[in-house]
Amino acid sequence: MSPAGTFDFQIKDYKSALKPIWCPGCGDYSVVQGIYRALTAIGRPPHEIAFVSGIGCSSRIPGYTTTYGFNTLHGRALPIAQGIKLANPDLLVLAAGGDGDGFSIGGGHIAHLIRRNMDITYIVMDNQVYGLTKGQLSPTSQKGRLTVTSRHGSLEEPMNPLLCVLAYGAGFVAQAAPTDLAGMAAIIEEAIRYPGFAFVNIQSPCVTYGDEAQQFKGLKAISENLVDLGHDPADRLAAMDLAQHYGSKLHLGVFYRNPEPPPTYGDLVQARQELLAKDALPRERILDLFLKQ
Amino acid sequence: MSVKDSEIKGTGGEATAPPSTRRDLVFGMAGSGGDGIISVGDSLLQAAAAEGYHGVMTKSFGSQIRGGESSCRVRISTEPILNPGGNLDVAVALNWEDFLKFGAELPVSGTTVVIYEAATNIPEDQIPLVGVLPRQVIAVPITELAKANAGTERAKNTVVLGLIAGWFGIGAVAVMKGLRKKLAKKGEELVEANQRAFDAGLTFAQQNPLKISMNLVASETKGAVKLITDGNDMCAAAAIFAGCQFFGGYPITPSTEIMQFFTNHVWGYGGAVLQAEDEIAGIGAAIGASFAGKKAMTATSGPGLSLKTEMMGLATIAELPLVIVNVQRGGPSTGLPTKNEQSDLFAAVFSAHGDVIRPVLAPTSVADTFRITVEAFNIAEYYQTPVIVLSDQEISQRKETLDPIDTSQFEILDRLRPSAVDLQDYKRFKDTENHISPISQPGMPGGTYLASGIEHVESGAPTNSGTVHARMNEKRTQKLDPLKERRDLFEITGDPEAPLALVAWGSVAGVCREALALAQAEGLHVKLLVPYLLYPVAEGIYRDFFASAQKGLVIEQSHLAQFHKLLRMHLDLPKGVRSMARSGANPFLPSEIVVALHRLLSELQRSHEGNLQPQE
Repeated sequence: MSPAGTFDFQIKDYKSALKPIWCPGCGDYSVVQGIYRALTAIGRPPHEIAFVSGIGCSSRIPGYTTTYGFNTLHGRALPIAQGIKLANPDLLVLAAGGDGDGFSIGGGHIAHLIRRNMDITYIVMDNQVYGLTKGQLSPTSQKGRLTVTSRHGSLEEPMNPLLCVLAYGAGFVAQAAPTDLAGMAAIIEEAIRYPGFAFVNIQSPCVTYGDEAQQFKGLKAISENLVDLGHDPADRLAAMDLAQHYGSKLHLGVFYRNPEPPPTYGDLVQARQELLAKDALPRERILDLFLKQ
Repeated sequence: MSVKDSEIKGTGGEATAPPSTRRDLVFGMAGSGGDGIISVGDSLLQAAAAEGYHGVMTKSFGSQIRGGESSCRVRISTEPILNPGGNLDVAVALNWEDFLKFGAELPVSGTTVVIYEAATNIPEDQIPLVGVLPRQVIAVPITELAKANAGTERAKNTVVLGLIAGWFGIGAVAVMKGLRKKLAKKGEELVEANQRAFDAGLTFAQQNPLKISMNLVASETKGAVKLITDGNDMCAAAAIFAGCQFFGGYPITPSTEIMQFFTNHVWGYGGAVLQAEDEIAGIGAAIGASFAGKKAMTATSGPGLSLKTEMMGLATIAELPLVIVNVQRGGPSTGLPTKNEQSDLFAAVFSAHGDVIRPVLAPTSVADTFRITVEAFNIAEYYQTPVIVLSDQEISQRKETLDPIDTSQFEILDRLRPSAVDLQDYKRFKDTENHISPISQPGMPGGTYLASGIEHVESGAPTNSGTVHARMNEKRTQKLDPLKERRDLFEITGDPEAPLALVAWGSVAGVCREALALAQAEGLHVKLLVPYLLYPVAEGIYRDFFASAQKGLVIEQSHLAQFHKLLRMHLDLPKGVRSMARSGANPFLPSEIVVALHRLLSELQRSHEGNLQPQE
């Protein structure tokens, strides 16, 4: 785990001086608070953390922390996060972005990150709308939703991020919302501590372009805590059953946690590096591979 | 350097024929996918290396996955070889249908000896080559010899090797030595079958001598240590030598072998390779690895380069070192995936939104792919920029015999890390005298910053300020200015005061080097510029070169003459310098360049006469 061990850090150690560009009341303020709390609980120094995002309102989030941050391209947080993790497995690597970033323009990446099971935590701030570009349809918008790009109502079914990542085989899948900040912080912490890829969907209301039903009040009305429902997070099929209610119910908590986490990609890479190191020619003699008698 | 002898003296045929003075032979062979034509080329090249010759082998295929037509050219010489050669000296057709599909890639002329499969039942005076009368045409019962001696027609390729050993004096011992090694694991029986097939070919050749002997003279450097490899493997090995520890990519012809080499070797150097889900993720992972402090690269070909464009822009604005190898093939779109072309130049130089200068380097051979790849890493790391290595299908997939490279001659540069003083108040994008800022990496205490594709102030914090944007554009572009003074990235040969000038890059440069030697041997005053650095355009170096030039050619395999246009964007070429450009898969021949130079010279003489007349 942490080569530097853990230290006694406080929230202020993870909070940067940058002032967020988010609208007053945006759910993402709570998300960044939840991340500060989770990082404080874990106690890795900020310089051992790489926080990667895509493009969108929520993707501004790494800048509001004191970690190493990388605000990359729209949809491309995950490939870049994987390169970072492979280059330096000792880092704590976090990725974050919105529903459009992660499930529309960058939707092709998550399946493969899950196949590789790299030890990366991915937080999606899901608000069912494109906020930065001012209110267009997103991949999780409800069918019939009226937006500036669906003046007569959306003709498409929303996709179900929870069901997708469960089907792709993610080892840790959870959902949180700013309606329960302490619960969200605990879930993010648990996701980071899971040894492998972890996905947290956060229903984060867009106060400017979001639907009435998806504001704090509406979310509270449909919230159910998975613990209260007696859900066993080791039961993947039960998790998929519950995940089908995405959009109509807001289940908070851990849907699935693999009770026997398999080796991570990083573990396998390290084993291969150690195995092959002894046979590698010195770098300056690598052309000897092409020698012919 | 190797210049073909113009004419072979002798009356030929009889046993008393004078010994051959051949120092250079170009073989071209074609057959169906299963005929093993490529392994003939491989065996021949290895035997040539073992016997001290220099060799180059190029392959060309149809785009079928299996079967279909395949061909190779092997040029063998007593002197170092500059290009795969022009017209064939020896053509081998296992069937005519496949041979003819390669057209200009396998040009037969009046000095070619044509060997073909007798089972095609085509008489020697009716072979389907239009408008050419080869020096000699020989039908050989190749399949029959294979079956009779090895018991299987799969030994056809070994019969061909025997024929070549018998007629051209290459590999009489070395070929079977190589095959024994290669087949050792498959059992003695197979080795012996191949030996019989080889001997049958050899005996056939000895019993049916050529009208004019074409035996290659023995090499004076027999026994010298040689390397054999192709451009893709050389590129990957050079990258590992330069300290590259991360490769992210996606399979695409003709660059895939670079990733394959990494998957074999990079782990042992503490590195990793990611075969990504797409081209974008491949370069994205490489950018991530570079951000995390490792030297990183990706490799692709045209369609993949298009997909990687946005990521390359990110590496530019985030000032992250990155090497992108683009092995060119015919385009646009899927184009000619297995053929050579030089038409990705504009994409390499210009494909970006925003104001971007991204260095572009181009190797011209397998051998210099080593130096150019190491240089690409040095430039990427030193200047904190993405760098494109613009290779091409020919260089990437052709095999060359090489003299050993002394790797201790190469300096390896690393990115500038922040000092303890820098880290006291660390500004990742601090503007400095040379515009290069010390770069930290995750894990380094005191160095945390936000990397981003959004414009940023010196600390890395996002900004919308036009003033800052202008200053940062200046920083990112001016830091690269010293590259334009890198004369060591340009090769100038020939007569410095020559009125005739040639410019060529990439694999076409090799053809021009040979054309230069041929033209000089014919008494022409000519010089040649080969740029290894294509972009930024080093205007001063070109101006100096063109100062004496009255006529010249910019030669390239691009229908739109992209390089000629790129030069004209940056400088006024002398009026008499024009473009000689054509689409890919239509190789240039050294001889046609010499003809073009003669034409330029006579134009020049006519214009001088024209100038003189009024004065008299």
